[in-house]
Amino acid sequence: MLKKVLIIDDSPIARKILRSCIPGDRAFEYFEAGDGQSGLQRFQEVRPDLTFTDLTMPVMGGIEALRMMKQDRPEAVIVVCSADIQPKTIDRVMELGAYSMLKKPPSKEALADLLAKVDALLGTTGAP
Amino acid sequence: MTAVPSSEILGTEERDILQEIMNIGFGAAAADLAGVIDLYVQLSVPTVTVLPAPELPDYIRREVPDAREISIIEQNFWSKFKGIALLAFTAGAGRALLGMMGDLDEQSFESDPMRILEKETLMEVGNILVGACVGKVAELLGDVVTYSPPRVLIGDLSDTNVSKRIFDPGNYVIILQTIFHFGQQDVRGYLFLIASHESIGWLKHALRSFMSQYE
Repeated sequence: MLKKVLIIDDSPIARKILRSCIPGDRAFEYFEAGDGQSGLQRFQEVRPDLTFTDLTMPVMGGIEALRMMKQDRPEAVIVVCSADIQPKTIDRVMELGAYSMLKKPPSKEALADLLAKVDALLGTTGAP
Repeated sequence: MTAVPSSEILGTEERDILQEIMNIGFGAAAADLAGVIDLYVQLSVPTVTVLPAPELPDYIRREVPDAREISIIEQNFWSKFKGIALLAFTAGAGRALLGMMGDLDEQSFESDPMRILEKETLMEVGNILVGACVGKVAELLGDVVTYSPPRVLIGDLSDTNVSKRIFDPGNYVIILQTIFHFGQQDVRGYLFLIASHESIGWLKHALRSFMSQYE
């Protein structure tokens, strides 16, 4: 069941926007981090059911963080939420095992669709 | 460094909102460029700086390495969001970008038509990046801007005299800045979007309106 959500983004505004787009009837426990490195640390500590990560961040970028999170827990559900929507970037994050990619700024509809799919995935597989 | 604290012109949250909007604008610009000329662009974290207008040329000189040999694409934009976009490329960027886009031989690089082609390449890349970025920022803030045609300036930044021509020396400017890394080579473009002082009141209001949809 989807309970713990980790949001990794250097922008507090981006984190706020993302949280505000998640349907209000979903009572998640949220965790946040401001760069890839602290995001990876939080990921290992809290073992979130769903992780959102930005790509362009200081200290450690999202590509590297994604690679390391998937190495740590291959079954983890990680969604990249980024303004970098170049086809080569999308190809790269999907190759690295991202579940999906959301274009910034995200919409409430996109988040509702995504959560329904993640619910179905976690309900079916029992992961992570 | 003579930059005033951003809090005097923009509050912390306003600066954070603007930075995120710029991030989205820069991403849209990179995607547009990739769609037109199949060139991968690596983005950097954008920054927001507030400066007295006369200090702008010195600020850009400090930010761009080897600023005496740069090529600058300059484009004005105006509406409620008003200012100037400067995209500074370090020396040799035109040739490198041409090389990434086609299979040009070494001899052709020395010809006059090739120099014109380099200039046109910089102008086209600049036009796409500036148009997509400024357009996306304006769209998110509920504005539509008009642009002047781009022009290329080669050489020392002081030749551009930007702040004297565009901005009142008694005012402040807001500089929105990022670095684009092109392809696998060390080709960089430094994009500065400089919002004029008269845009600041509107900008603060537009930033609040943008965030209100997420409250």
